Amino acid sequence: MTKKTFYNITLILLGIILSLNSFAQEENTQLWEKANAYFTTEEYQQAVSIYEQILQTGEESAKLYFNLGNAYYKTGDVNKAILNYERAKVLAPHDADIEFNLQIANQFVVTKIEDIPSPFFLRWKTSVTNKYPADTWSGISIGAFILFLVFLGFYIFSRKVSIKRMAFWLGIIAIVFSGFTFSFANHQKRKIINRNHAIVFCPRVTVKSSPAQTGTDLFLIYEGLKVEITDSLSTWKEIKLADGNEGWLPDSCIVKI
Amino acid sequence: MIKKLIIYSFLFCIAIATQAENTRFVMSAQNAIELGKQFRLSFTLNERGSNLKLPAGLSDNFDILMGPSTGQSTNISMINGRTTQVVNYSYTYILRAKKEGEYEIRPASINVNGKVFESNSLKIQVVKAQTKPSQAQTGGSQTQGSTQNVDLGKDNIFVRVAMSKRNVYRGEQIIASVKLYVNPNIPIAGFDEVNLPTYEGFYTQDIEIPQQINFTREVYNDKIYQVGILKKTILFPQQNGQLVVEPFSLALLVQQQVKARSFFDDFFSTHRTVKATITSSQVNVNVKDLPAAPANFLSGVGNFNIKSDISSNQVTTNDAVTLTVKISGTGNIRLIKNPELQLPADFEVYDPRATDNVRTTDNGATGTKTIEYLFQPRFEGDYTIPAIKFAYFDPAGGKYITKSTPEYLLNVTKGSEEQSTTVISSLRKEDVQLIGQDIRFIKQGNPALRIRNYTFFGTSGFYLIYAISTLLFILLFIVYRKKAKENANIALVRNKKANSVAKKRLKAASGFMKKNNNEAFYEEILKAFLGYLSDKLGIPIADLNRDSAVLKLQQRNVTQEVIDDYIEVTEQCEFARYAPAEGSEARNELYKKAESTMSRFEKQIKK
Repeated sequence: MTKKTFYNITLILLGIILSLNSFAQEENTQLWEKANAYFTTEEYQQAVSIYEQILQTGEESAKLYFNLGNAYYKTGDVNKAILNYERAKVLAPHDADIEFNLQIANQFVVTKIEDIPSPFFLRWKTSVTNKYPADTWSGISIGAFILFLVFLGFYIFSRKVSIKRMAFWLGIIAIVFSGFTFSFANHQKRKIINRNHAIVFCPRVTVKSSPAQTGTDLFLIYEGLKVEITDSLSTWKEIKLADGNEGWLPDSCIVKI
Repeated sequence: MIKKLIIYSFLFCIAIATQAENTRFVMSAQNAIELGKQFRLSFTLNERGSNLKLPAGLSDNFDILMGPSTGQSTNISMINGRTTQVVNYSYTYILRAKKEGEYEIRPASINVNGKVFESNSLKIQVVKAQTKPSQAQTGGSQTQGSTQNVDLGKDNIFVRVAMSKRNVYRGEQIIASVKLYVNPNIPIAGFDEVNLPTYEGFYTQDIEIPQQINFTREVYNDKIYQVGILKKTILFPQQNGQLVVEPFSLALLVQQQVKARSFFDDFFSTHRTVKATITSSQVNVNVKDLPAAPANFLSGVGNFNIKSDISSNQVTTNDAVTLTVKISGTGNIRLIKNPELQLPADFEVYDPRATDNVRTTDNGATGTKTIEYLFQPRFEGDYTIPAIKFAYFDPAGGKYITKSTPEYLLNVTKGSEEQSTTVISSLRKEDVQLIGQDIRFIKQGNPALRIRNYTFFGTSGFYLIYAISTLLFILLFIVYRKKAKENANIALVRNKKANSVAKKRLKAASGFMKKNNNEAFYEEILKAFLGYLSDKLGIPIADLNRDSAVLKLQQRNVTQEVIDDYIEVTEQCEFARYAPAEGSEARNELYKKAESTMSRFEKQIKK
């Protein structure tokens, strides 16, 4: 009797939590539709505020960042557009639309930086890693692992030598593949968690050689530029540009992606 | 008098009608003179005439001091063997004006071969007498031979830019003349340096004037000047607001009489050349902006007309059609942009060719701009070439005027196949033309929202899947292993159990024996053996009989002695089942034999 009531209470609690969660979800979906409607009728300012409102609830998605970036772009705030496109890109690294719009927004960036050409295998690795977000890689990794177990089963239980041999090699391939995709997923996850890239928001900022105003001026960068944060000290951040230049600038000038 | 005049004019009309026009009778005089000064009034006639009648009323305003003095000049020219002779007769009077003012001298008349001709009329302005410019100020100290800068006085010599208008719309034309004013008493020897003005903020077009500067007399500020036009330019202001023509300077060489220093100097070097630099004053032009322009305003300001012409309106596909648009009129024709022609999208359109033909005269720039639109219809059908709307600004009226060309209907029939296919293939190759660039549109549909920074990767659930699948696998492995083992052991179990089952049966048999139930006794012993062998040897009971059992036992290396015992026991049992009962002694013996045989089987059949 007591066991049954406990079970019932748990069930009810679970139901409440689920419904609350779905309620919040529903509200955000409504906001999302509203913001999209504002965007379509070219009321970009309203669209921006509603998209931001969704972000306030602590939820995010690549689509949301993308649309917010579009709205900011249309209101003329290119820096924020770039920031949101970059945020969208972190969540959906291989989305062609995000890439395209980011490229257009980047045309407004004054500082033009040539990337250091990285070795081909690194480029391949990055391009393969960026093919999917972390969770897709996790799924693939799990699938490959289960496949590995299946092959292992075949290897152990099959009586035929040919099947055993084939299962052996396929199993090895599956486990190696699972390991690789696991590392890709890990990489993508780290990118989301660490967020060690930032966008410059000051119209014009001098990068110093040390984290102090008295440091030697190294170079000038302009707003909208994407930089990598390599270190930080009190209110200063050490940044690294894509072309390899490094220096310190006040952290009020940058916004993390 | 009036009667006479009527007759004269009548005769004059007849004369014009009948006489060849090559009789010219011209009256000429300076157009501006000083009061009290003598001047010439001369008549020239290219034929011998008689009875020159001076203009009526001439003596009212002028004193005729002398005249007529007649002259004759003959000009014989031979061109390609043809000799032409021109004789000019001239009659000159010396006159003097009586009063200041502007006078019109009416035509004079002369009789040539019995016909009366009238001359032109003249306008003469008489101004009051002017003081002579002070010449030759100083004598001695000047070095001879070198030119020297002198100031001749701003009233005596100056230069200015005369603008036809000072208050204009942007793009409206202004005629600017650079005029040199010189006192008639100052002889100009030549120009030393000429820096003509630069008209900044204007689009300029020069009016052609003769290289040789013609000085004419003109009255300016009640004074007579020799006026020479150095340059004439049509200006089109391109900016709004106050436009300034900066001052510019001229250096002139002027001959001056030198005061004689000695008696001999009167004979030599009585003139010397001095340099006079004069600077113009600044001229301002106020430029008003045009009012809000209609859509098809092509920056034309002035007065224009538009005409168009199409080369053909019955063509086959891929024939070239030319639409010629002519804009003619007065104004900034060169600055007019080409009007846009909206042709159907599938026409092959070439860049329009524009030519302009602009004459610049004292009345401004006039001319035509011809724009040729060349296009080729690709497909058959009836097309409309739309009207070209041309708006221009009329500065006189201060408003925009729109004129339009007519619409044309173009009937295109199919041309030869060969041509069209080749062209279409080239048409298909055309790339998508990028017209504008914009970001891609927002994404719709499910936003797929998630908690920030949440990834399934790295959560305990994620690792749990690995763990559970591994565990599941191991569990599966264990279960399978056990099952396989069990499967393998069923025979063994039965083998193991065979002895005990057989013993049970034998025990039961001994029970039957004690109850004297013979049939059951024998039956049980047979069953015990059959069951035992079936289990031991792995032969199904259905397939088991004595022969097959013996064969199998022999294969298992069971000794013949035991097999013989087994045969004996079974034979006895089978026999006894159907035979009359035997003594209990025999049954007991049989039982014991069966027991011993069984135990020997057990020893010998190992597996």
